[in-house]
Amino acid sequence: MRAFRALVRKDLVLELRTREVVPAMLVFLLAVFTLVRFALGSSRLTGGSRAATGMLWAVVVLTSLLALTRAFAQEREHGIWDGLLGAPVERWIVWAAKACSLWVFLALTQVVAVPLFWLFFLQQGPSPSIPVLCAALLLADAGIAVLGALLAGLASAGRAREVLLPVLFLPFAVPLVLVASDLSVATISLQPSGLDTLKRLGFLAAYDTIFALLGWALFEYVVEE
Amino acid sequence: MAARPARDTSQSSDPPVACSGLVRRFGHRDALSGFDLEVARGEVLLLVGPNGAGKTTLLRVLATVLRPTEGDVAVEGCALPGQARKVRGKVGFLAHEPLVYPELTVTENLQLYAALHGVGDERVAEVRDRVGLGRRGNDRAAELSRGMRQRLAIGRTLLHAPSLLLLDEPTAALDEDGRSVLREVLAEGGRTVLAATHEPDWFAGVATRQVSVRAGRVAA
Repeated sequence: MRAFRALVRKDLVLELRTREVVPAMLVFLLAVFTLVRFALGSSRLTGGSRAATGMLWAVVVLTSLLALTRAFAQEREHGIWDGLLGAPVERWIVWAAKACSLWVFLALTQVVAVPLFWLFFLQQGPSPSIPVLCAALLLADAGIAVLGALLAGLASAGRAREVLLPVLFLPFAVPLVLVASDLSVATISLQPSGLDTLKRLGFLAAYDTIFALLGWALFEYVVEE
Repeated sequence: MAARPARDTSQSSDPPVACSGLVRRFGHRDALSGFDLEVARGEVLLLVGPNGAGKTTLLRVLATVLRPTEGDVAVEGCALPGQARKVRGKVGFLAHEPLVYPELTVTENLQLYAALHGVGDERVAEVRDRVGLGRRGNDRAAELSRGMRQRLAIGRTLLHAPSLLLLDEPTAALDEDGRSVLREVLAEGGRTVLAATHEPDWFAGVATRQVSVRAGRVAA
């Protein structure tokens, strides 16, 4: 547990000092929201709140790619992998710590993204349920973090890692985002039963669990040369 | 609370390093092609040879960061790669790169490795002073000169008091004071050392044996 805490703390301290990940994600989402808002002018997005909510999820996935491409950048650029791999800790702890810090970065970004999204697109008309949207975001972030840390570890060994990571990540992320988007959109105009909402949240939790188990079992082989 | 490390000086009958027919392949290229070596406890063994001979690959295999492709390798009596985790706490690996985060301070880097090795934080100050970085504890690694970073790397390697030191060109970039620190470490005794170097003369009086490596194997 001490090693896990030390690794997470290291990532947070490095982000505070280098500001490489979270500011880049914020700038990206602000740029997308602003461009779309200006393109729309005073009119609403065709499809209304449903389309806007779908756009929010597209932005969540694309901003997460920015974080994932930098996930093991320090270790790769400064050859620190050998230091981590030579330490007497289970290698899945390195993956779990990276997933945890990625989750923090994603959640921090969304603390800014969701109010901005509301301000830009949902001032008029119906809105998705805030508690359901927040629950979906937190569970989707966990899925993106556990899957992303595993694939970022895999891609970090390759030469074309900037290309490889999205190619690997996006197909696996599609089911997660589809269900999360469907879950939040369904709360806009319909009154979904509590059971339907719980089923979709359960799917997100199951997705997180499956990829957490895969990360735990496979990370050692993914980073081994 | 994490304990202060005690160097493993047990006089096990197993040699600290034993390789037989070790092959390490990268794609179609054999970096090690049937490497045979046995190192006795307490030896300071120098690995010499041209660039690309396989010295660094050998050290990385012994440090458990690379898997052997073929052959038998045992470190401190533990077969690799199967018992790699048992080996990791006993080995200190000084690589080409210092293996430290440039944006973390000297103390933060040592604290991170102390946590990874289950070593108490009091050991951090001890090692930092030992390698002559006592006054630079709050400086980021990126602000240190190349020689100072190498000292930090030596400190990182010694944190958990390993019984086997694997040193890859340890004198690179070190000034006279840094070399004195390294010489003290090598002269301490009770520890087995494998050092890849292009400066074998510098190790005179400390080294017990020299092995020439060429084309991935021990040269005749």
